[in-house]
Amino acid sequence: MALVVLAFDLLLAAALIWLAWQATRAADLFHAVVSFIVFGLLMALAWVRLEAPDVALAEAAIGAGATGALLLSALDRLARRPRRHAPLYEPGTAWGFWLPAGSALLAMLTLAAWNLPAPGLGNEILASLSASGVEHAVTAVLLNFRALDTLLEIGVLLLAAVVIWALGQAPPPLVPSMPSPALPALGRLLFPIFVLVAAYLLWRGSHGPGGAFPAGAVFGAGGILMLLAGARPWIRSSEHGPWRLILSLGMAVLLAAGVAGTLSGQDFFQYPKGTAASFILVLEVAAGLSIALLIFALYLRGKPREHGSWGAAE
Amino acid sequence: MSLGPVGPAILFALPLAAAIVVFVRPRWSVPVALAAGAVQFAVALALLGVVLEQGAWRQSIGGWSAPLGIGWRLDGLAAALLLMTAAVGLAGAVFHASRPPPPAVVPDPRFFWPLWLFLWGGLNALFLAADLFNVYVALEFVSIASVGLIGLAGGAAQAAALRYLLATLLGSTIYLLGVALLYGRYAALDFALLAERVEPGLVPAIAAALMTLGLLLKAAIFPLHFWLPAAHGRALPAVSAVLSAVVIAAAYYLLVRLWFGPLAPLLGTGVATLLGLLGAAAVMWGGLLALLQRHLKMLIAYSTMSQFGYGLLVFPLAAAGAVEQAWTGALVLVLAHGLAKAALFLAAGAIVLRHGGGRLDALGGDQAGVLIAWVAFAIASASLVGLPPSGGFLGKWWLAQAALATGGYLWLAVLMAGTALTSAYLWRALQAALRAGGETAAEAPALSPALGLCALLLALGAAALGLAAPMLARLLDAVPGGPG
Repeated sequence: MALVVLAFDLLLAAALIWLAWQATRAADLFHAVVSFIVFGLLMALAWVRLEAPDVALAEAAIGAGATGALLLSALDRLARRPRRHAPLYEPGTAWGFWLPAGSALLAMLTLAAWNLPAPGLGNEILASLSASGVEHAVTAVLLNFRALDTLLEIGVLLLAAVVIWALGQAPPPLVPSMPSPALPALGRLLFPIFVLVAAYLLWRGSHGPGGAFPAGAVFGAGGILMLLAGARPWIRSSEHGPWRLILSLGMAVLLAAGVAGTLSGQDFFQYPKGTAASFILVLEVAAGLSIALLIFALYLRGKPREHGSWGAAE
Repeated sequence: MSLGPVGPAILFALPLAAAIVVFVRPRWSVPVALAAGAVQFAVALALLGVVLEQGAWRQSIGGWSAPLGIGWRLDGLAAALLLMTAAVGLAGAVFHASRPPPPAVVPDPRFFWPLWLFLWGGLNALFLAADLFNVYVALEFVSIASVGLIGLAGGAAQAAALRYLLATLLGSTIYLLGVALLYGRYAALDFALLAERVEPGLVPAIAAALMTLGLLLKAAIFPLHFWLPAAHGRALPAVSAVLSAVVIAAAYYLLVRLWFGPLAPLLGTGVATLLGLLGAAAVMWGGLLALLQRHLKMLIAYSTMSQFGYGLLVFPLAAAGAVEQAWTGALVLVLAHGLAKAALFLAAGAIVLRHGGGRLDALGGDQAGVLIAWVAFAIASASLVGLPPSGGFLGKWWLAQAALATGGYLWLAVLMAGTALTSAYLWRALQAALRAGGETAAEAPALSPALGLCALLLALGAAALGLAAPMLARLLDAVPGGPG
């Protein structure tokens, strides 16, 4: 049995390296993107093997799913040019610089990893878990012990959306030509299931792997699917109506929770005694909603139009 | 509630909240941004006073102490940099609000305001942070806001922004690898806890190398400067100012925070000399390239690359024993550079608007409307060169004393040669103003005097820094966990 597991792990590692090589070196960009998506899925499997189901969920939903969709949509914008492109770097630099530099880095990291005692903070976290308001250690770290980091991480996502909107106008949404009219219908049919899974993951975050990030990613992916099925986002009013508000909601609520601590004379982000569970629930819902919409907003590939209709030819 | 623990919370939360407000309601951008900026400047000034009075402190966040929780740490260095950020942030915001509307190259130029405030908030978060991972998140925040701000200038600036994005993300990733190794080895991310635990060894050495490499890339230290000139030279004036003055200083700040904090036991003579040599090369190479530029803003951008080389001289001088003088000198130099460089970029912004371009040979002739800007340029130049009593003079004086005290004549020579180069390239820029027969922008916009005044106030700040020598010495007195 142990031998089978070892063989599986080795196979997984070899496949990861091969896919990484394909993703960076393939001359055909489509091939590279697909390799990257498969890489994300196998990486999620690797995280499961490392007993990190939360990271696995995030990797599958964001690393493979959302990023993959973004890369494919970027590829669509490049499609008018020939797909084959010159290799990203000259073979000389690849063999003369990147290979030795990468090998040196890998050797250093291996050497260092070999010397790590891996103490971690697992015991300290378990000891304080009862005071954190949730039963799941990862959620406790994300929304209580290190909530300040999470605030800035959601901020980075919001910031990325603002940057993309600042740099260019969104092109008309992508509607691929479908081989069958049943596919868009199926997409619409699947959307409620995406919502259900997202809600489940959100609820599960309080006591098991799940929480705002994977839930938001799944919800956002559902939105992207609707976009592909021909739905049009309703963001046309001046200043995008409530859209900008919901995009910022997660960060705004986290900031408010932080300031509430200071205002009540305690530390920044210190929840009043006994209220941590309710605070975290509100934060999860707000953050999940924002993350879903942010992933969707990134996918629009630019600032949506404020006036005028989407369908009109540009 | 005393200002002590509340001040950092305001500096952290206010810019981010204001950024959200102006993203949701773009038409409120200018008043909200200016009001938030003014409050931040006042709070940063008051916090500096508190630190001078009470000394440094650490405050925990969320009621959790290290190693489980995160903390903020406020000492003289952090307070000084927070105040410099506020000064540059406020001046840049006033400058941007008063300039004639730029040609529309992006869908909505009002996106400047949320990005500006996000950048400011990220910088405040970074200067307050006392935790390696919190620093990483803040660094990412600062990088992405910077990328967006550079891209706002459109055209070639967007290509520069993309190149900067790739360089800075590579830097963050390498830094993060180092953080992961340190956490894996010591189960702590807090600066103070790590400072107690780190001992010379293989894992900390590799971690230190990775983190330093990542930060050197972000600080654009020679030979990793390739992304800086285009990114800083092509951005909007206010953006160039904050990038050169504060964002580079933030990477440098982390470098000294780490090497004079958690990594201090690893700072041997070899490492220190290597960092010093990189700094020396940056001073010389950046200075030479600045001398060869034909465009005013590119000249200033190369000057940034050169000036941060001085900052790295702190390592060999401190390792040789002159810890106090080297530390105070290098940091005063970074503060004075920040104010002077922001003044130079804002002044250049006004001058470029007046002449319709930044080519040095087109800047002469009629200077109506930009006289104040040229005066600011001259004063900021004097500080950058190091004429007494400017901040630049004070910093160089202390560094030179440290070099003399430890017999580091090589570093003294770098200081001298760099000063000669600095005066040469800045003189070239000033000379351009005196030449006859320049160009005037075709539809010369009426420039608000506020543009020049913003630059002038910053330049005067840089010049006056030298007069505050006793205060600065007291403020930067405590070398945190230094080898001395």
